Amino acid sequence: MRQSATATVELNTEWRGKFTAEPFEVAWASEAIYFIRALESEGVPGGVNARVQISPDGTHWCDEGTHVPLPAAPGITYARITHFGGWLRLVGELPNGAHLKVIVHLVLKS
Amino acid sequence: MTNDMRQALLHSDPRLSRFNPLERILFYDDFNQGMQGWTALIGNYEDSLDSMLPEYRDIRPPMLSNLSMWDSGTVGTLTGNYALKLATRPRPGSISVGIKRMTFRHAGPIRLEAFFTFKPEVTELRLAETDVRAVGVLFDLQVSDRTVENPLRIMPHIRYLNALDGKAVERWQYKSERMSMYDIGGSGKTRSHFHLAPEGWVDLPGGDQRLCYNEIATKHNWYYLRLDFDLKTMSYLGFRCNDCVHDVSEIEPMQIPAMPNLWCMLNSFFWVESDCDSRAFLYLDSVLLSAEMEE
Repeated sequence: MRQSATATVELNTEWRGKFTAEPFEVAWASEAIYFIRALESEGVPGGVNARVQISPDGTHWCDEGTHVPLPAAPGITYARITHFGGWLRLVGELPNGAHLKVIVHLVLKS
Repeated sequence: MTNDMRQALLHSDPRLSRFNPLERILFYDDFNQGMQGWTALIGNYEDSLDSMLPEYRDIRPPMLSNLSMWDSGTVGTLTGNYALKLATRPRPGSISVGIKRMTFRHAGPIRLEAFFTFKPEVTELRLAETDVRAVGVLFDLQVSDRTVENPLRIMPHIRYLNALDGKAVERWQYKSERMSMYDIGGSGKTRSHFHLAPEGWVDLPGGDQRLCYNEIATKHNWYYLRLDFDLKTMSYLGFRCNDCVHDVSEIEPMQIPAMPNLWCMLNSFFWVESDCDSRAFLYLDSVLLSAEMEE
């Protein structure tokens, strides 16, 4: 049986301007899905994304290439990721005046 | 089975030989097969997450780590590749908690053993030995619903105060003082208290202990911890870390009136707290909870 785990990496967190979801160690996993659930969404235009980042050590980060759409209304979005090494995090930037209150789930499977 | 036979079996098993369990092993987790039921601590809420006490709103969850460092690569663990890792946010006072929840079937002695280590996030090339404020262990217990007289919820807390406000302390402390209990929401059914608050910690008598921090922040040495508690008398029976046996005979656990839905609760916790603007990490290689065998 494969191992699996869901991490709530952000819970009821406010995002304004630049944001970073807390890093998570994922070396044991081979696939992941980031879910962003917006409890509140104000002034978020369509087409704004969070970027998935990977890291060799949890300190130095680079864009992995996957984008997760930011919900323009209360709701949930996702992106699938594979072949990511030992660490994952999300970063992004909201335009002036926009804000999100989010739950971010990282769903992992070995 | 004779005690000699039992000891021989334990000592011939390389997974268990480093532990000294009581008669019945309730769980043994080495985190090479997942998180094995260790999960995040979440504050109580009703209707909205905003009803949670502020201190509970950002308790960080556990994860699995192979301890990969920027300079030396993967450290791994004492007995495998993965440890349970608790990681704070990069700010003073941020806390991460791992909790495993069960109930007990026999009110007798229990023993929690663990191999653990702690380090700060490596953000600068410096020793950073005072970046981690504290690591701790606690049980959250409640007596049986058959208890007639003065039913209680009991919460023995012990922490290693590594540093405070940038200055090394290196001392074990305990907490007996009750924290304020608040009603959550409007139903009258949900209450909450932040028992990990910075107030109320008291030095354990003779509790000074210097651990093997090692020379730089990317070197990890594992420590042994053992906490003994009696579910019958709800009192401490013993506490040791590595070679130091600390005197807990005179200290009291935190006590609060029993709550309506926590009977026979047996929850085990570990946590870590940061003292500065970098993340604090607590790693658990393995955890074993054992108990006296009921008749």
